[in-house]
Amino acid sequence: MKWLELLTVGGATLVAAVTVVVLYSLGVRLTAIAGDAEQASPGVKRSLAYICFGLCGVAVLFGLYLIIPYFSK
Amino acid sequence: MVALVIALALFFDFTNGFHDTANAMATPIATGAIKPKTAVTLAAILNLVGAFLSTEVAKTVSGGIIREGSDGVQITPDIIFAGLMGAILWNMITWLKGLPSSSSHALFGGLIGAAIAGIGFNSINLESLLQKVILPAIFAPLIAGLVAYICTRLAYALTSRHDPETGSKLTQKRGGFRTGQIFTSSLVALAHGTNDAQKTMGIITLVLIAAGTQDPGSGPEFWVIAACAFAIAIGTYAGGWRIIRTMGSGLTEVKPAQGFAAETSTATAILASSHLGFALSTTQVASGSVIGSGMGRKGTSVRWSMVGKIALGWLFTLPAAGIVGALTALLVKTGVVGVVIAAVAGTAAVLFMFFYSRKSHVGHHNAVEVEEAGQAVRFSKKKGLSRVRAKARATADEQKDTQR
Repeated sequence: MKWLELLTVGGATLVAAVTVVVLYSLGVRLTAIAGDAEQASPGVKRSLAYICFGLCGVAVLFGLYLIIPYFSK
Repeated sequence: MVALVIALALFFDFTNGFHDTANAMATPIATGAIKPKTAVTLAAILNLVGAFLSTEVAKTVSGGIIREGSDGVQITPDIIFAGLMGAILWNMITWLKGLPSSSSHALFGGLIGAAIAGIGFNSINLESLLQKVILPAIFAPLIAGLVAYICTRLAYALTSRHDPETGSKLTQKRGGFRTGQIFTSSLVALAHGTNDAQKTMGIITLVLIAAGTQDPGSGPEFWVIAACAFAIAIGTYAGGWRIIRTMGSGLTEVKPAQGFAAETSTATAILASSHLGFALSTTQVASGSVIGSGMGRKGTSVRWSMVGKIALGWLFTLPAAGIVGALTALLVKTGVVGVVIAAVAGTAAVLFMFFYSRKSHVGHHNAVEVEEAGQAVRFSKKKGLSRVRAKARATADEQKDTQR
């Protein structure tokens, strides 16, 4: 039973951290592309980047929402 | 006695914050993401907020490890006093010797040792101890390390840019991670508050239960939560200045992308564990992440001897603090004289620590514990390596010369 909890912690950590890192990395990547000199539509890339950053923030907030007992009651 | 123990516990909380600011805020300050003053203030505030978030760990400490009340085993404030003293004394010793140790494990060790010496083996809830403290202590750093490794790999894979035609490397533009670090390190500070401040809450609740002012098995009272939250926040704020001073002497090279991955893993691992009531050492999790993310970067090798040294320090803390706690418990058992001796020894240790830190005698070993973990990973740069080899050769030649 306790192994299951341990597994939960491991799984939750993996999923949460990977989500945040992937979203943020995508954002960084897109910003980098948008900053390139010869670029067809930097505006679109940049807004996509901001969406990624935004989603990343939402993921963090959702994680906190799940943890704080005040909300889950 | 109860008041004394509460004061002592709050002081322990303060030192915890004092000690651990570095874990959260060292990297963003080092990479220049935030100004030191802002970073320290932010960490203090987030520790404060984090302490209010959950009480699961506090329940583990107050209700899980030592059987109180119902089983007929009476834990007294004296025992808790002895345990706390054991923890503080052991922390002092390791701190002076520069051994990597976890204040959380010192706390548990001291408490367990004191309970065994003062009451007997049956006072320990072995099953709960194993499940909520020992197993997480072993696995949480491993989980954090593994996740940090995967995250670092992912972060680098996603942001590595090659020219599609020539295949040559473009400028990588990973500067965004520097900004991201502000948020991830804030999360680490928050996570630190949720786990470490709660340990003290648990202790104070345990004292209140032992003194009979609170029902066994109940959670911490609001004033206890508030007091602990403020103690750790003030400690964090106070401790920050020490770290800023150390920062000038340089940190292990951690790239923003790496730091971002490591901090994300640390924060999530701690928060998830706190949620399930696992009491773990934030320092150890952070160290695990740093090692993991170091391994995730290309061209690195791990100094296993260094890792072994750190791991040994971790394993050693619990029994060692237990012995100190047990000795203190035996001392306290002898009566008032024993209590006075223990109190005087503890106060002396604390005062010594205070003046010692006042002398601005800050080395890497006591300011940034995660630093040890950083040193365990070696970045094998070709240039650096050849230089080192050349140096080694030169000194070898010199030795030969002198031998002749």
